Amino acid sequence: MISNILFDMILYSTPIILCVIGGNFAYKANVLNIALEGMMLSGAFVSMFIVYFTGNIPLAVAGALVSGLLLGLLFSFLGITCKGNVIVIGLGINMMVSGIAAFVLRLMNSSNIYVKTINVSIFKVNIPLIENIPFIGKIISGHTVITYLSFFLIFVVWLLMYRTKLGIYVRTVGEDEDAAKSVGINTDFYKYMAVLIGALFSALAGVNLAMENLMLFTNNMTAGRGFIAIAAIYCGQGRPVTSSLFAIIFGLAWALSVDLSTYAGSASGLFNVVPYVLMTVVLAVVSIYRYKNNKMRGYKFE
Amino acid sequence: MTGRKIPLSIINSLMPVILALLIGGIIITMIGQNPFTTYQVLFQQSLFTPQGLAYTLHGAAPLILTGLAIAITFKANIFNMGVEGQFVLGGFVAGIVALYCKSLPGPLAQFICLVAGIIGGMLFALVPALLKKYFRVNEMVVTLMLNYAMATVLEFLTTGIFRDNGSGYVTTPMIPKSVMFPRFGDTHITFFFVIVMLVFIIMYIVMKKSVLGYEMTAIGKNPGFAEATGMRVGNKIVTLMLISGALAGLGGAGYMLSDQYSYTLNFSANPGMGWDGMLVSLLGGHNPLGVLVAAVFYSALKNGSQDINIFTGVPQEIIAVIQSLLVLFLSVKFISENTHVFDRIRSFFRKKSSVKEE
Repeated sequence: MISNILFDMILYSTPIILCVIGGNFAYKANVLNIALEGMMLSGAFVSMFIVYFTGNIPLAVAGALVSGLLLGLLFSFLGITCKGNVIVIGLGINMMVSGIAAFVLRLMNSSNIYVKTINVSIFKVNIPLIENIPFIGKIISGHTVITYLSFFLIFVVWLLMYRTKLGIYVRTVGEDEDAAKSVGINTDFYKYMAVLIGALFSALAGVNLAMENLMLFTNNMTAGRGFIAIAAIYCGQGRPVTSSLFAIIFGLAWALSVDLSTYAGSASGLFNVVPYVLMTVVLAVVSIYRYKNNKMRGYKFE
Repeated sequence: MTGRKIPLSIINSLMPVILALLIGGIIITMIGQNPFTTYQVLFQQSLFTPQGLAYTLHGAAPLILTGLAIAITFKANIFNMGVEGQFVLGGFVAGIVALYCKSLPGPLAQFICLVAGIIGGMLFALVPALLKKYFRVNEMVVTLMLNYAMATVLEFLTTGIFRDNGSGYVTTPMIPKSVMFPRFGDTHITFFFVIVMLVFIIMYIVMKKSVLGYEMTAIGKNPGFAEATGMRVGNKIVTLMLISGALAGLGGAGYMLSDQYSYTLNFSANPGMGWDGMLVSLLGGHNPLGVLVAAVFYSALKNGSQDINIFTGVPQEIIAVIQSLLVLFLSVKFISENTHVFDRIRSFFRKKSSVKEE
């Protein structure tokens, strides 16, 4: 039972972690990217679309990543080059992906994309030695490739953010754009990079969600995970490791709501609320803690 | 100055419409249909026949309210993304309250239902507003999340406690005809439309002529300055969020009593009246009069989408695509003090011609 919940925690954390570590860059660059949700959905949709018609899994992953990058470029072009309102653009992209998916599904005369011929078990990795450890083996082993990759990527992103020129410049641009400009940093370029990294990771999260775990796409299957990721980023103030920890907490909430709902009988539908409400509470607690000693008046608008 | 500003903002709203319809047309061509006949069907029925126009105005009523709900907060740079949740909650509450008002006279029952919807919307908006005021929690993230929570809770209530067991699909019991707004003649327009117009006039005065409207704009432009001049920004945020929630709740309740008869899981359709309201508000430049025009235009689009589904081979889902394109293009101000798109193009050509001269 407990090992089941913890196993699911890792399962449900994965897409959120990927969105979080990708979205961190945009947050640090002061470009609020709420299109993570749509980019994730496009990754899910494009990967399943390609698998459905070609059966070629590497091509599907590549296609999903390209679709994410294209959305990232669209977002950056409108938001950074044309100086549009990034929140509106983000919502626009979310609506567009869901709209296009609905349109294509309608043309295919189907309510979902499901591939029977490929069994999802081919993506599962059983780690040889760890697999046999009694309790931990059950939790850690048997996840998908992208799941392991995502936990590894937390470390990579940390390196990228704090130990490379790209990361430092992105953070500089976010902190004070004029200062960054005055020392000759191409601020637009680093903002573009920040958004594109987020887009790439979100698309990967979509692949994990739809193709790796279910081999199934239904519209709006991301169910607000992108927004949960943004909440996690806010809670962790854009620090990769801290934000990822919050992402795991939300993964746990999701696992609890799914696993416990099977025991709840008629009230099971209500358990789906848990992740969203928990997130609101965590966000409030973190904010209270952060502004506890703040004596400044006024409100900063993001 | 003002004489120049008005056409500018109209161009800013028209350009995205043209661009979005253009790209929508390309997509329609790609699936092997004729875009011109599609657009003709789209607008002819919904705008140029009396019956269709009445139906369009009827559909515009809730959109005007959600549009105003978004406009009043966006203008102050507060992002109340919970309009969708407030709308469905308002509708649900009104739908349930209406069941207990059977024996009351119609107008009184309708009044009670509308008030219940307004209270529902306000309560839902109060949560992010208070979190913002006291703990500075980002209201946008909270409202986006609570929309999902609200959808789940209402789904639970509809499939469980309030389900109409006599019906073949998931829905709450039908509202008795006596509580629904009666229609004017054989059109779809009901008394709800009159209420919406009254609310619109009130909101126009609030946003354009009142102190609150001025403060709203000031907060939107520079919250630090507004605070420094002595405005209580926190309280104003709560007030604006409450008004926004009330408008959305009223929209939901009115939509329920004038159109829907019962709460189904597809009450607000996809992508939802709240999101439509955001589009309407953007299209109208967060300006009350603009919202009115945009709501009618967008209602015509939605209304016509059913016609293209029937009379052409284009699936009506194309409207969602066009809508999202509209939002994307509307996010960018094509001509404004900041971007100077036209100036840039002009200077680009000037450079070229000057090179030639040399």
